[in-house]
Amino acid sequence: MTSKNSFLASIKENNKRRLWVWMLSALFFVLAIPVEISITISRQMNSLKLLTDTYGAAFAGEAMRERLINSMCGQLGFSSPLPVLTTIIAVSAGIQGFSYLYSRKKIDFYMGMPVKRSKRFLIIWLNGIILYVLPYFLGLLISLLIAAGNGAVDGRVLFTAFAALGVNIIYYLSVYHMAILALMLTGNLVITGFGFFVFCFYEYMVRYMLQGYRSLFFKYFSYHSMDVAPKVSPFMWYTEIADTFSYKNIINIKYFAALLVFALVIGVISYACYLKRPAEAAGKAMTFQITKPVIKILLTVPMALLIGGVIADMVDYEPATALKGGGYVIFSLALVVVIGSGLIQSIYEFDIKGMVHKKSHIVLSGVITALIFLVFRYDLFGYDAYVPKPEKIESVAFIPSDYETIYGGGARFDEKGEYLSEEEYAKKYMHLTNAEDVCELASLSMEAYNFLSDTTSRADAMVFAPGNKWSTATLLYRLKNGREVYRRIWVNVENEQTAELLDRIIGSDEFKRGYLPGAAENLMGILENTDRYKVGAAYGNTVYWEELAREEIKEFIQVYQKDLARANFSNVKENLPVGMGRITISEEIKGRGYGYFSGSEYAYSTRSWDVAMNVYPFYEDTIAWLKEHGYYMEFQLNREDVEHIQIMNHNTEAYNELMQKQSMEAGAVLPELAGGDIAAPSYAYGYHSTLDYEEDTIDTRVYADYTDEEAIDEIVARVYPGDMVEGDWDFGVAGETDYTVYIYFKADSPITRKYGSSMSINYMFPEGQVPDFVKEDTLYKN
Amino acid sequence: MIEIKDVTKSYDKIKAVDNVSVTIRENTVFGLIGTNGAGKSTILRMAAGVLRPDTGEIKIDGIPVFDNMEAKNNIYFIADEPYFFANSNAIDMQKYLSSVYREFAADDFYSYLVNFGLDKKRKINTYSKGMKKQLALICGVCSGARYLLCDETFDGLDPVMRQGIKSIFASEMERRGMTPVVASHNLRELEDICDHVGLLHRGGVLLSRDLEDMKCNIQKVQCVFKTTDDEAKAISSLDIMKNEKRGSLNVLTVRGNKAEILAVFATVNTVFFEALPLSLEEIFISETEVVGYDIKKLILG
Repeated sequence: MTSKNSFLASIKENNKRRLWVWMLSALFFVLAIPVEISITISRQMNSLKLLTDTYGAAFAGEAMRERLINSMCGQLGFSSPLPVLTTIIAVSAGIQGFSYLYSRKKIDFYMGMPVKRSKRFLIIWLNGIILYVLPYFLGLLISLLIAAGNGAVDGRVLFTAFAALGVNIIYYLSVYHMAILALMLTGNLVITGFGFFVFCFYEYMVRYMLQGYRSLFFKYFSYHSMDVAPKVSPFMWYTEIADTFSYKNIINIKYFAALLVFALVIGVISYACYLKRPAEAAGKAMTFQITKPVIKILLTVPMALLIGGVIADMVDYEPATALKGGGYVIFSLALVVVIGSGLIQSIYEFDIKGMVHKKSHIVLSGVITALIFLVFRYDLFGYDAYVPKPEKIESVAFIPSDYETIYGGGARFDEKGEYLSEEEYAKKYMHLTNAEDVCELASLSMEAYNFLSDTTSRADAMVFAPGNKWSTATLLYRLKNGREVYRRIWVNVENEQTAELLDRIIGSDEFKRGYLPGAAENLMGILENTDRYKVGAAYGNTVYWEELAREEIKEFIQVYQKDLARANFSNVKENLPVGMGRITISEEIKGRGYGYFSGSEYAYSTRSWDVAMNVYPFYEDTIAWLKEHGYYMEFQLNREDVEHIQIMNHNTEAYNELMQKQSMEAGAVLPELAGGDIAAPSYAYGYHSTLDYEEDTIDTRVYADYTDEEAIDEIVARVYPGDMVEGDWDFGVAGETDYTVYIYFKADSPITRKYGSSMSINYMFPEGQVPDFVKEDTLYKN
Repeated sequence: MIEIKDVTKSYDKIKAVDNVSVTIRENTVFGLIGTNGAGKSTILRMAAGVLRPDTGEIKIDGIPVFDNMEAKNNIYFIADEPYFFANSNAIDMQKYLSSVYREFAADDFYSYLVNFGLDKKRKINTYSKGMKKQLALICGVCSGARYLLCDETFDGLDPVMRQGIKSIFASEMERRGMTPVVASHNLRELEDICDHVGLLHRGGVLLSRDLEDMKCNIQKVQCVFKTTDDEAKAISSLDIMKNEKRGSLNVLTVRGNKAEILAVFATVNTVFFEALPLSLEEIFISETEVVGYDIKKLILG
């Protein structure tokens, strides 16, 4: 008799039992995707007439083709439906293929057959891949044929579609193997589902918990030091690959390799578990006895800590000052340990009475939870006290939060021209070698801040300490041993010793080149890359602008960068800028704006950035250059343009007094004003946010209108555009926030011509510059 | 030959099979009898290579069975609840089994289906419980495997069907030396099928004997002795397993063959003497009582 036990025959037989997964896959890929492609093409074609009418036949044809190509790239590439479908089929195929392991009846049948375990695994595993790849490939071919028939295929579409096919197959393998592993470790469908869920979100949960605890317990924790997003996750890697592809048209090799290795490793582990899996595990919660306590503890401990963290947040637990709310936190930790451990045990046993079994596991989970909690609570590893010795430091990055970032002009780029945030840029390009100053600043600031935070709550420490103004900065210590350590410190910018250190740090060329957008070396590269970028520049004060000639932009930046040597912390803090330079950089992203996973900026056909540069009175060369080229403005507000001025005074002091009075009458005491030994707030952090005229019955605003020449002259001489005197990191010359100056321009003024009629623009008085008559006119009198 | 040697198997902390050693010879119908939880299914599942023993080994014709295709080609295991593919019919099962058993006899399969009155195109999930068991037996018989391991397969089959199966077994044993191993908790259901019986209790083997041997080696005698001297003489000469005395009537269960026992009785004076046939049940009662078990409680209900 001819042997029928061939591999292909087995594959065929196995497929007969996987029809519904085949149907699902075929429905998605062979039917839904081509139909979606047809609908998209049809919809795009419908707009051809409109395009032709609007732009003419020649341009309309080209635009239509571009639109179609972009649509095809989106739908056959890394669009959101494909990974979702891939995930659904991977989980279905993985679980359905090996689901016989849940049933004793099926196990008795299959394992009684003369088929080697390894061969059975291979058949089921391979079929699980075929049932994805074959319909996908077929659907892709059909879709490409439909698209080609409508002129919507070119090399880019083919490359995108087949690159996506390759990545999706590896992604499929990753998820497929995860589902198989979850099944191998469990003996019941519901528990497998739970296991898969845990695989997907465990790292996220642990990272979220750790970040929450560091943030809660450590004063100097920096969010830059850790990312909540999982590092080992096919979902994250896929997103990264898709994102990179969407705007660079290349496969991110790093994440692709990670996905591939993950798929292989999980596949091998799944296979090993399959070979080791006892038949009697069918129907039980867990397959292997040894995994039971390990998984239970690995789930219970972070879960307890996580919920403890949530409770801490809810009760405003303040570990640094006292055990305020500590009882709730400790109780919730204990409760979750007991209930969590018991619940998992009852799942293991499929019996609610299991809640009280294996008490040793509850105790062990409790001890580990308590140890971790204590490590954070009492900072047993000295996280908050850590300042490395300068001799151990290779270099440092000192990253103030929003220093000199004005008028949305904080764009920075790497050498490839990719946008970076200020933190990313500083991490990459700021290498301060003067570690002594940074370490001294860190020690000084931490010592001062520790003193405050030990005596009052952390939030209040910043606000209520008289004469102090605190700003945050992230420190990145790059140690000689290769470690990178992040801390976020609070710097008292009013302290003399601090100011001296900041003068040396912020005044250094390394800081400026690593932080200030206008000083960035890569900026010149961007300007020179005229094929990719369109660049424009202007000088002005946010209201008045003078466009710089294109050929002068580079020269302006060079003069500005040279003048930066004159700047340090103190002189920038003490002066208001006379104006600012603004470079606008835009890039056409034709054909790349289809990525579903991209940020919103990629959804547009053009993306643009601004680089703004404050020009201070002591930037002599820059001012001279601007004057020489006729861009310099001697005014902040041109008197000739002003028709009349309206000033509104919030009268915050009066408002607060009235509020306090009203509250006292109602029987309540404003906590921040009740303590006699605490100084009055410095309003450093936008205290005006408490004014809510919509909600409050108290309104202390007083308006005054000025039309006479003399008053207008005096006001015009003193005011600055609101955006020029916005609060900054250094708490330098601030605006009088109680007063809002509305400037109404003449109908024939350039400003009205530029921005439109009946337009008022907000100006502000710098600190101490409010004229007496304005104070008098706008004083609230009850 | 199936050799089960010092095999132990536990589920969690419960010992299902405890140090069992049994040898199942070829070309016999081996009955594995025992109460629920005695370990019958576990032994069969281990013998079929479904379960891996914790200790000990199981060999089929000298080859370890677990995940060994050479051994498993010679085994077909019919579980207590036989599994058939969802929405399948007999043809689907035949196709699958033909793909895994090299010597699956498809012609015989369809021929048996006709003989048993089973519709090959009818969905198996519409079959009755008994029909499913018949189909499972037909699958097993036609697989070409030499050892057919049946777990409670005969329970619930009607006598006609049992007779039909018995005759199939006989012909397959005759034709290709098939060895059925039949597990049951009911001794009466095995009596007319098995040649050899292994009695399991609490995971261990109480006894394993050839039925013919057992029947030939145990006799039941009813007699009235003339004198007490005759009675004493006879009892001292016989291997008495059990002696029930009802007035002057002695009911003796005696180990030994019939001729030897009759010879002993020929030397003493009896008022009344009668040698009676023993049922399998009575033999088991006698054998297990000897080792201290009350089999009535165990398997006869």
